[in-house]
Amino acid sequence: MNMQALAVPAQLDQLAAIRRYVQTAGQDAGLDDEAVYNLALAVDELATNIILHGYQEHGLTGEICVRTVSADGGLAVILEDNGVAFDSGARALPGAEELSKPLEERRIGGLGIYLAMSSVDDFQYQRVGEINRNTLTMRRRRTNDET
Amino acid sequence: MAFNATLEMNGSDAKITLSGELDAAVAEQFKATVEEAATHNPTNLVLFVNNLGFMASAGLRVLVFAKQKMGQRVSIYVIGAHGPVLNTLQVSGFHQAVYLQDSYPV
Repeated sequence: MNMQALAVPAQLDQLAAIRRYVQTAGQDAGLDDEAVYNLALAVDELATNIILHGYQEHGLTGEICVRTVSADGGLAVILEDNGVAFDSGARALPGAEELSKPLEERRIGGLGIYLAMSSVDDFQYQRVGEINRNTLTMRRRRTNDET
Repeated sequence: MAFNATLEMNGSDAKITLSGELDAAVAEQFKATVEEAATHNPTNLVLFVNNLGFMASAGLRVLVFAKQKMGQRVSIYVIGAHGPVLNTLQVSGFHQAVYLQDSYPV
């Protein structure tokens, strides 16, 4: 059964509530602990970007709506907001050379999206009218008993 | 679990113990603790993360800030990283840039 959607103000102090929601949904969907953590991390990173770059940088306020649906042998988390259009998947991610640099030479930007994209099985972005829709999917891992 | 960062100076070691969940909402608290540590001109910045249950990229950015603020003279140690927090350090390449240890001193 899909959980009731969560709508919260687009503020950083709501990140913990968003993670709790995703963790509960992930556990209910039968994801293992590692998958639940990684899905919550990815959602946290995208929500942070929405709050900072979709709303606050532009002097906007609004909400983030989070809902989940069963999908593709796992769980999809859908984040919707009406901040400025922003496709995280279109951003250039740090490559192997950047990731191996010493900290004093590291660029600050791009790490969050890199972590998000590295943590889930699929990511989709759509602009639907005035709404940004980010969909992150995590599949259930097969256990040895299922192979 | 609420985030907490506490600083203890021990000679040239700045020891910061982190606990709870480190996300963008509380990263400024961690950054302020690092800035306080920097005022003591430490040689080693030692982060104890055994009780850190969650770390987003905001936490990694504070590590970058720490190195850029304190310079090459400071070595960063991360003590007790395990599970997903350790995985985040590895995926982001930070395991090559800090000293990962189970205890401090070894």
